[in-house]
Amino acid sequence: MTEQNVIDYVRAAAAMLDLPLDEAAVQRVATHLARTAAMARLIDRAGGLVPADEPAEVFRPAPFPAAGADE
Amino acid sequence: MTTADLPLAQLAAAIAAGEISAREALEACIARIEASDGEVNAFTGKSYARARDEAGAVDAMRARGETLPVLAGVPYAVKNLFDIEGEVTLAGSIVNRSDSPAKADAVLVRRLKAAGAVLVGSLNMDEYAYGFTTENTHYGATRNPHDVTRMSGGSSGGSGAAVAARQVPLALGSDTNGSIRVPASLCGVWGLKPTFGRLSRRGSYPFVHSIDHLGPLADSVEGLALSYDAMQGPDPLDPGCHALRVQPVAGRLKRGVRGLRIGLLGGWFDDNATPPAREAAAGVAKALGATGVAIWPDAEIGRAAAFVITASEGGSLHLAELRRRAAEFEPLSMDRFIAGALQPADWYLKAQRFRRIYRDRVNALFEHWDVLIAPATPVSAPLIGEEWLDINGTRHPSRPAMGLLTQPVSCAGCPVVSAPLWPQGTGGMPIGVQLIAAPWREDMALRAAHVLQEAGVATLTPALSRRDRE
Repeated sequence: MTEQNVIDYVRAAAAMLDLPLDEAAVQRVATHLARTAAMARLIDRAGGLVPADEPAEVFRPAPFPAAGADE
Repeated sequence: MTTADLPLAQLAAAIAAGEISAREALEACIARIEASDGEVNAFTGKSYARARDEAGAVDAMRARGETLPVLAGVPYAVKNLFDIEGEVTLAGSIVNRSDSPAKADAVLVRRLKAAGAVLVGSLNMDEYAYGFTTENTHYGATRNPHDVTRMSGGSSGGSGAAVAARQVPLALGSDTNGSIRVPASLCGVWGLKPTFGRLSRRGSYPFVHSIDHLGPLADSVEGLALSYDAMQGPDPLDPGCHALRVQPVAGRLKRGVRGLRIGLLGGWFDDNATPPAREAAAGVAKALGATGVAIWPDAEIGRAAAFVITASEGGSLHLAELRRRAAEFEPLSMDRFIAGALQPADWYLKAQRFRRIYRDRVNALFEHWDVLIAPATPVSAPLIGEEWLDINGTRHPSRPAMGLLTQPVSCAGCPVVSAPLWPQGTGGMPIGVQLIAAPWREDMALRAAHVLQEAGVATLTPALSRRDRE
């Protein structure tokens, strides 16, 4: 993915969402999006996800403990 | 001794004993705010009339011989994303100024009021909580009370600074990616990010529904524990509140750490810490008798997942206003919100799917440990306006880098206490150390914090630290 690819994507996606962006804003947003793209690639590279892995529900870090379990 | 010198629990005890009236404690608090806030800029709203009513009600209860609730007469303030009845909830923005005033207090404000605490005002923050520095363009930067040329941290920077400046002994903040722990670290105060789902978020302005937590910053471990206990309780009307009952911690603080399995986090948490941050964490490990080094699973990817989820949910939340009023947004975060709104769905969904696996891996780690130790921030407070940080030879953009060590933990939802340390090599500035426990085990993190406080290892001021006393 080139810098120009990201800029083109920002222009197209902003238009799709009806989000007006001037050229300077497109450049700045592209810089941020490129940073997030690197984060997304990290998750991709981690692997381990299989089709059965659903997104987290309303996130619960663990079941709430039963009464007396915290003693 | 003035009321500012009394830690929260002692102030509450003095009011309960009639040694100080709630009104006297409040007026002293107001005087401190008025004397210091021109320099610190922690407050964005002051509710002194309400506070005088609440303090008067406490004094009236005492005059009638009634038993006072646990926080009776204790002044506190809230990050300005908490609803306060009759006031507009700004969430650090100017966009929200056109909103209607809140019809009721946030749930946590109601619970603190029921516990007798006295609300004195609302506190500065990064706009919509998207930042780690509280360099708010609309309301000015909140300055670090220990060196006003430096950042207070964020996004609950007003909360950290108000406690550090002794304006109030207690403040509420929110923490999605580190927004309680980062200002607690940079300002040198105690902070508690509870388990995700522990405290009701109803009546607070959201940032990232999937990761938002609320919690206290305080002048003492007792201050954290008493306020946290007062705010606990199920809330069936908040879909993100998973707690089914209160699990009080204040009575457990003095149990010590004997029998707890305590470790120091290496790997990511060591690689991304500067020498003073490492020194602070090592000092805590020694004081608590840590028995080994633990490796947090997939810390870098957990941070990445938090980063992606945050950008996407935050951007989506504000998309309508970004279309119409982008020029009124905070320049430091507007482009990030827009970038988040444009993210491909694949990134967000994979991050949420990863989070489910990540949770299981993190919980498995806690089968072997009870409390894990890590620095809260890579560095002490940077200068306001600083754009870049050097962390062990690598150049990082300063604002996102402040969350390097907090994001992996909150993405897993674990409870964390940030303890104030004063290591060498920071020019006299503090750095916080995270005490991390398994979900729903705030009690263990707070017990460890209490040991550090009693040993003088973690303190609110450098002058009281053990190093300086020796």
